Amino acid sequence: MSAVWLAARAAVRRRRLQTAVVGIVVGVCTTMTVVAVGLLAVSSGPFDRAYAQQRGAHLSVTYDRAKVTDAQLTSAAAWSGVEAVAGPFSQATVELGAADRPRGMPLTVAGRADPAGPVDRLNLWNGRWATAPGEIVMNENPAGPGFRARIGDEFTTPDGVTLTVVGRAYSMSRSADAWVTPGQIAALNPSATQLLYRFAEAGTTSAMRAGEAEVTRGLTGARLGSTSYLVLREEAAREAATYVTFLIAFGVLGLAVAILIVGNVVSGAVVAGFRHIGVLKALGFTPTQVLAVYLTMVSVPAVAGCALGTALGNVLARPLLSQAFRNLGAEGIGVPLWVSVAVALGVPLTVALSAFVPAMRARRLPAAEAISAGSAPQSGGGLRVQRWLSGTRLPRAVSLGLGLPFARPARSALTMAAVVLGVTSVTLAIGLADSLTRYQRAEARSGAVQVEAFPAGGPDAGSAGDEALLRAAPGTRYLLGSLDLPVRQIGNTDQTMLRLYKGDTAALGQRVLDGRWPSAVGEVAVAKRFLVQRGLSIGDSFAIEAGEGVTRVRVVGMVLFNETETIIADWSTAALVVPEAFPDRFEIQLTGGTDPRAYMDALRGSGLMAVPPEGAEQFVVIVLVTVTLLTLMLAVVAALGVFNTAVLSTRERRRDLGMLKSIGMTPGQVVVMVVTSMAVLGALGGLLGIPIGVAVHRVVLPAMADAAQVGFPSAFLDVYEVPTLALLAVAGVAIAAVGALMPARSAARLTIAEVLHNE
Amino acid sequence: MTMSDEGNEPAVVQLSDVRKEYGDAVALDGISLRIRAGEAVAVMGPSGSGKSTLLNVIAGLDRPTSGSVVVHGDDLGRLDEKGLALFRRRRIGMIFQFFNLIDDLPALDNVALAAQLAGVAAPHARRRALELLDELGVAGRRNTYPAQLSGGERQRVAVARALMNRPALLLADEPTGALDSRVGEQVMDLLLDLNQIGQTLLMVTHDERLATRCASRVIEIVDGRVARERTLERA
Ligand SMILES: Nc1ncnc2c1ncn2[C@@H]1O[C@H](COP(=O)(O)OP(=O)(O)OP(=O)(O)O)[C@@H](O)[C@H]1O
Ligand SMILES: [Mg+2]
Repeated sequence: MSAVWLAARAAVRRRRLQTAVVGIVVGVCTTMTVVAVGLLAVSSGPFDRAYAQQRGAHLSVTYDRAKVTDAQLTSAAAWSGVEAVAGPFSQATVELGAADRPRGMPLTVAGRADPAGPVDRLNLWNGRWATAPGEIVMNENPAGPGFRARIGDEFTTPDGVTLTVVGRAYSMSRSADAWVTPGQIAALNPSATQLLYRFAEAGTTSAMRAGEAEVTRGLTGARLGSTSYLVLREEAAREAATYVTFLIAFGVLGLAVAILIVGNVVSGAVVAGFRHIGVLKALGFTPTQVLAVYLTMVSVPAVAGCALGTALGNVLARPLLSQAFRNLGAEGIGVPLWVSVAVALGVPLTVALSAFVPAMRARRLPAAEAISAGSAPQSGGGLRVQRWLSGTRLPRAVSLGLGLPFARPARSALTMAAVVLGVTSVTLAIGLADSLTRYQRAEARSGAVQVEAFPAGGPDAGSAGDEALLRAAPGTRYLLGSLDLPVRQIGNTDQTMLRLYKGDTAALGQRVLDGRWPSAVGEVAVAKRFLVQRGLSIGDSFAIEAGEGVTRVRVVGMVLFNETETIIADWSTAALVVPEAFPDRFEIQLTGGTDPRAYMDALRGSGLMAVPPEGAEQFVVIVLVTVTLLTLMLAVVAALGVFNTAVLSTRERRRDLGMLKSIGMTPGQVVVMVVTSMAVLGALGGLLGIPIGVAVHRVVLPAMADAAQVGFPSAFLDVYEVPTLALLAVAGVAIAAVGALMPARSAARLTIAEVLHNE
Repeated sequence: MTMSDEGNEPAVVQLSDVRKEYGDAVALDGISLRIRAGEAVAVMGPSGSGKSTLLNVIAGLDRPTSGSVVVHGDDLGRLDEKGLALFRRRRIGMIFQFFNLIDDLPALDNVALAAQLAGVAAPHARRRALELLDELGVAGRRNTYPAQLSGGERQRVAVARALMNRPALLLADEPTGALDSRVGEQVMDLLLDLNQIGQTLLMVTHDERLATRCASRVIEIVDGRVARERTLERA
């Protein structure tokens, strides 16, 4: 075996460039794979782990206290499929305000004696549990953003009860927004009772539905609402799922490119090493040893590249994963070890497999043929093309270059495939970026909304005069006022906002994706995610708890909207909720030629504060950065493939080059010839890669939108226009030309005397 | 650099004190040489003595370490790579022992190539190539690929291509080295014929008989130096 190792080592040394190409290509592709698979693996992983640790509720159900007793609930929960149950806990909806502002956010408060228990073991990460009346523990994600209470903060309920924060705990089941002692909850007028179940069988939606049917048997009249952990889990994975969809697309592309290029590099090494193989065989290497030499030759850089790529992938994935799972309260998520191990083993294996076919050829090659085969005779088709090209009007250097790929059709096809994938990914990336930008712009209503204005006094400071003032302001073209009111959908703990709109909704309102804009009292429009997560569709009604009473609203439209906990309604609906209200936010579009700066300056001192609208969301930025990064990687890899092919073919054709130079081919003509030979592959690759990229875009984007539960108008898919496509066609040629340039120039510099001397 | 023109006839090649080193190895050790138009010069010498290096330097395929090379009035030291390529295209025809033809192209296109690189349109280039192939007696093989040509035929095609641009100087590095003696002789006759119609010729050969038969002057090189020079009377 040591002879094989010696020969392989010598081969690696002799082919530094190819070895480096294999290493880099494998490294880059491994990085992409680690990121893609890592994201896929953890997209549900961290949630499941953390959820199991907390023994999170598979199902939480709230019941009407007036209709069912605790004893009835406990006996109903005795069903055999229930693994564990917590509760019944009394639950109240309480508006916690400060002493000076009694009306605050309505929160779900539950009475619990203990943060532990058989289900929903809370992570009490700060302070202590509530043990006495007047004490409250807030539900907060330790890593979460947003409003944060502090130990010692005091809240007051509208009834004048004062509650002091003594601790902060986190419930992944989101069973409540805050907890007090069972004694205290009784004083807060509890209206509902919650029960938290863990089922033996909870993997699927149908299992969950069956479980819910069992535990609520005979209690359906009292059931107010329920939450399945599958929804929470999906929500946790959702942001990651958006990345994952296109990362998978890119990962698959990357792997395919890696295999193609490695196959190309290795078969090139075999062809270029014909004489070497012959010598090895003449020296007494068995065919299997020759096979081993060639496999080793490729495996060494592949393993090195793979190791580096795995490390780099881990480093790159960390910030991406942390960003994607920020909302989980799980910090510093890395790629699971098994992913690194699987990739670190799988990639070299893939490489070895792709090396196997050409290496088998090396194994079979008879020694004599190998030694004499300086110039392999070639196929008739290639010759005919060459013949035809030499008669054309093209400059001879160009027509010679055009003919070169036909001399080695198999290698050319592999190289072209690499370019096709390169162009496909560039096409996809550009399309993705464009579509996402369009979505983002539509969502932010950029272009439509140029100025936002708020009453200077804060959220409740709106007055009747604001609207009139803005209408009268010179430069106002369209005006849309809005007011957000906290409400709660019955049976759902999520805080929901009711947004009332008043003014030019047609010009400035959200884009309606389905149904229509709400126009009458009690009509609402929501985002797609709202419908999906609550199992609603257009036409359905649901009850909301707002202000003093409960109101039924009916969904009449689905709008393009990222604020998925917000219900949009016409101003007329305000009558159902608040007696008198004024918009506390205005969105304004200006007449043509009005300078937003000047407009905002003019409003100074009017009691309204005017600001430019918010910019693009961070998520889109991250997606764009990732897409760009991956695209660059793939383009580099594809260019490296071309580079390798160009190196091989100029090496093989050294004597032809020497001959051509001896009859007066200038260095410039050599460059033209070599670059042309690769650019033709790039051009063909572009022609194939563009339609494929467009098709992938049409598949990936709706999948991404689905994964993110985002309503995505199909118009945003039509992003490819003629100039874009022309630019993309150039991309293929550019990738190929860049890859070919260096070998072309070194071929042009080649000293002919040296070639003639060495051959 | 000033060159003194000693002979009556114009010099096609003028080498002054040319040295060529490859690292420590000295391939040419101060060679001065003058070839007049219409001469046929044979270079002989043991293996490794620097014969090929001499030809390469004259063809501008390699640059001397020191000394000057002037061919047909062009001082090669002053030309850049492109200039050298254009120089070869216009002034030089080369024939090698091996590696003469491009395998992917049939005989005719191999010959036409030399003119096409200079920008001559395909039909014109092919017409002239055919004339040359005809003169050299291989017109019938014009559509054959090098792999199917015999050694002699290949060398004739190579000669045709070397003549394509009407070179001032034809350089041949062991043109018969790969051929059997009968075919080698035929190729030599061909070169002789060319010389007799005025083609200046510089060839490297190992074959004393061939050299004396077609050369008007024989230069012997040993260790990169001119060891002996003979002027021959030709029949
Ligand atoms: N490109 C090169 N690099 C290094 N050394 C070289 C190179 N070309 C020639 N040499 C060396 O220069 C010397 C002269 O070589 P050259 O090829 O001119 O000899 P030659 O007379 O043509 O021999 P032969 O009859 O075997 O063809 C030799 O020692 C050779 O090894
Ligand atoms: Mg020689």
